[in-house]
Amino acid sequence: MPSQPPLPPLLAPYVSNLPDSSLTLVSSILGATSNWLILRFLHAALSSPSPNAAFGSDELHNGTKKKVVLVSFMRSYEFWRTEAKRLGLDLARLAEKQQFAFIDGLSELFYAPQPTATSPSISPAGLGSSPRTTLPMRSPPGAVPGRSPQPAGPTATGARGNATSKQAEPGIAKKLHFSGRGLASLDALEKDISSVIEQQKSSMEDGDELLLIIDQPDLLLAATGPSMGIGATEMSEWITALQQHAHATVLTLATDAPLIHNASTSGGLATPIETEHAALVIGLAHRARSVMQLRTLDTGAAKDVSGVLRISRGGGLNASEESLEEREALYFIQRDGGVKVFGRGES
Amino acid sequence: MAPINLSHRRTHNLLLISKLLSLRDTASPLTLVLDSLEQPATPLLKEYIRRAKLSNVHVTLIAFETLKQPDGVDVFVSTRRKSPTDIVKEVSAVYQPIAASSPSRRRLILIDSINPLLNSKRVDPGFHLPSFLGSFIAPTSPSAKVDASLVVIYHQDVPELPQQSPYSPTPISELTYLATSIITLHSFSHVLAQKAARDRSLAPPVFGLEEEQEGVLLGRLDRLVGTGKAEGIVIELEHRRKSGRGVLEWYLLPPASRYSPQHLKEIVTLLDDNVLYNPPMEQDPGAGDEEPTSTFELGLTDRQRREREGVVLPYFDAQHNDGPGEGGRILYDMGEEDDFDEEEDEI
Repeated sequence: MPSQPPLPPLLAPYVSNLPDSSLTLVSSILGATSNWLILRFLHAALSSPSPNAAFGSDELHNGTKKKVVLVSFMRSYEFWRTEAKRLGLDLARLAEKQQFAFIDGLSELFYAPQPTATSPSISPAGLGSSPRTTLPMRSPPGAVPGRSPQPAGPTATGARGNATSKQAEPGIAKKLHFSGRGLASLDALEKDISSVIEQQKSSMEDGDELLLIIDQPDLLLAATGPSMGIGATEMSEWITALQQHAHATVLTLATDAPLIHNASTSGGLATPIETEHAALVIGLAHRARSVMQLRTLDTGAAKDVSGVLRISRGGGLNASEESLEEREALYFIQRDGGVKVFGRGES
Repeated sequence: MAPINLSHRRTHNLLLISKLLSLRDTASPLTLVLDSLEQPATPLLKEYIRRAKLSNVHVTLIAFETLKQPDGVDVFVSTRRKSPTDIVKEVSAVYQPIAASSPSRRRLILIDSINPLLNSKRVDPGFHLPSFLGSFIAPTSPSAKVDASLVVIYHQDVPELPQQSPYSPTPISELTYLATSIITLHSFSHVLAQKAARDRSLAPPVFGLEEEQEGVLLGRLDRLVGTGKAEGIVIELEHRRKSGRGVLEWYLLPPASRYSPQHLKEIVTLLDDNVLYNPPMEQDPGAGDEEPTSTFELGLTDRQRREREGVVLPYFDAQHNDGPGEGGRILYDMGEEDDFDEEEDEI
C-alpha cells in the first residue's frame, strides 16, 4: 500500500489555521479513538515546511510560527513521542526548540511525591521505601525509555514538584498533581498549565500562535466528580480559563453511549458521572466552533475502514463571519500509522 | 388552515414577532429561548443585537459561555467566579451612567446560557431563580425606571442535575412558568424533512442526539444548504398576552447573509407562507378540471352541450299530465344525424 501523506488533504482545512479563540471539539468512542486526529493537529501546527513535506501542507504555513502545548490526561509522553515520530515529528527536539511543551496529567495526577507521611503507604509494594517520581503501575508496558535514566532524585521540593520534574524527565514540561478538592484544586491545575503556556509565550514573536490541546479532560471529571465539588460547570469554566491563554484550543472528549444518552433516557436514575459527563460534553459542543465526531462504521467492522469522521459546525461558530463546510468521511488507519481519509464510495 | 385565517395571522402575528424581536413597548419582559445542538441560538442572538443597534437599545451580554465580546454588545459581563448576587450587582452598576445621561433609553439583557448557572455546584442552596431573573428586569432602586427586556437562552439537550429537594420544581418548569414568551428553535431543513415524512404518514425522522447513535452528537449536515433554499431557522413562538390569552405561531428567520445589517423592513415570515414548507396549491384545482387524456374525445362540443341541456327528462315531464309526454312516455326527437333503424323497433 502506498504510504499516505501525513496530513490527508481532505482533513487539512479542518485541522490547520484554526481561528483566534476558537474551540474545536474532538469526540471519540471506545472503538474509534482520537489520538490519530490529535497527531494530525500536531503535525499541521508543528511540521516545518521543508521540501519533503507533504503535498498540500506548504500553503498552511503562511509565515506564522506555531507552538503547541499538549496536556494529556489519558496517554503518556512516550506514547505521543513514538506516534509522532511515525509522522516525522521529533517531539523531543521540538521541545528543546521551545516549540512544543508536554504536560503530563496522567502519571502523577493523584500521586503526591512527598517523602512525608502519606507517600510510602501509596507506593506499590515492590518499590518498598524508595519514593520514585514515576508510578510504575500506571505507565503502559514498554513506556520506560531505555536511554533516559530513571529519575532517581526524589522530587522532594514542594508538593507540586514543579522545578525538579522538568530536569528529571526530558520532554515533559510539567507533571500535574491534583490536591485538595473543588475549585481550589482546579485553580492549581490551571496555574500549572498557564505557567507552561506563559513560558512558551515568552519566546513568541508577534503573530505567532499558540495551540492548546487538552487530551481527555473528562478523566478529571470522572475521577473527581460532584462529591469533590467538581461538576460540569466547574470543568467548563476551567476550560474557559485555559482558553483565554491560548490562540486556539482543541479538546478530546469521550462520547460513548452510556456517558451521553443515559442521562436523558433513564428518567432521573442516571448516575452522577453520566449526568455530569453529558452536561459537560453537550455544553462544550454548544460553545465549540467545530465538532469532529469519530465513531465506528454503522454497518459493522470492515477491513479497509477504521471508522467514520463527521465534522459539524458547533454552536459557537460565528456563521456570519466564516463558513465551515460540514462533511462526513471515512478513515482508515494503516499498519504504518498512516491515515487515509476519503469520502463514501471513494477509496 | 383556512385562507382568511392565514391573512389574519399574517397581519397580527408578524406584527407581534416584529415587536418582540425589536423590543418595542416591552411586549415581553422575559423571553425564554430554548435551543439545541441541532439549532443553536447564535443566529437569533445576532438578530436581537442587530435590531437593538438599529433602535439604539443598550445591550448587555451576561456571558456564561461566550469568550469574546461579540460585535454590537455594549457591555460584556463575564460570570467566571462570580456569585449570582455579584452578577446582578455588576449588571446594574454598568447601567448607572447610561441611565443618568439618557433615562429613556431602553435596555436589552442577554444571558447566553442559563444552564451553567443551574448546574453549578457553587451556588448555595438558597439561590432563587425567579428573584435572580426578576432583579434584572425590576431593579431595586426606585429612582431609575428602566425599560429592560431579558432574553434567556436555555439549552434543552444539556441534562439537568437531580434536584436537591425532591419537592421543588425543575428549573426548566420554573423558567417556562415565568417567561412571557417562549421561543423554541428548530432547524429549517429538519422541519422540512419531518413534514415530508408526516405527509406520507411516516414516523418523522430524528436528528443528532435523539438518534441515540453511539458517537453522534450533531446530526446536522449540509445536505440541503447546497440548494441555498432551506437555510434559516424556524421559530416556534408562544406568547402570553397580558390578558392571559396565548398566541402560538411558527415563523422563519432567514440567514443573516440574505439581508444587510441595516435592513429595516421585517424579514421574518410565517412558516406557512414559505414556498418550501407549503408548496403553492394553485395547480391542483386547475388540474381537477382537466379530463384524463385518452385517444377518445370525451368532451362535448358547444352544440352538443346546448342540445343536451334542451332535453326534457321524463321525470320533469311526468310532473304535469298535460305535457307533451303525457305522463312519462319517452319522447325522442330525431336529429338529422340519427340513423333510424326500422327493423330494430319493429317488435
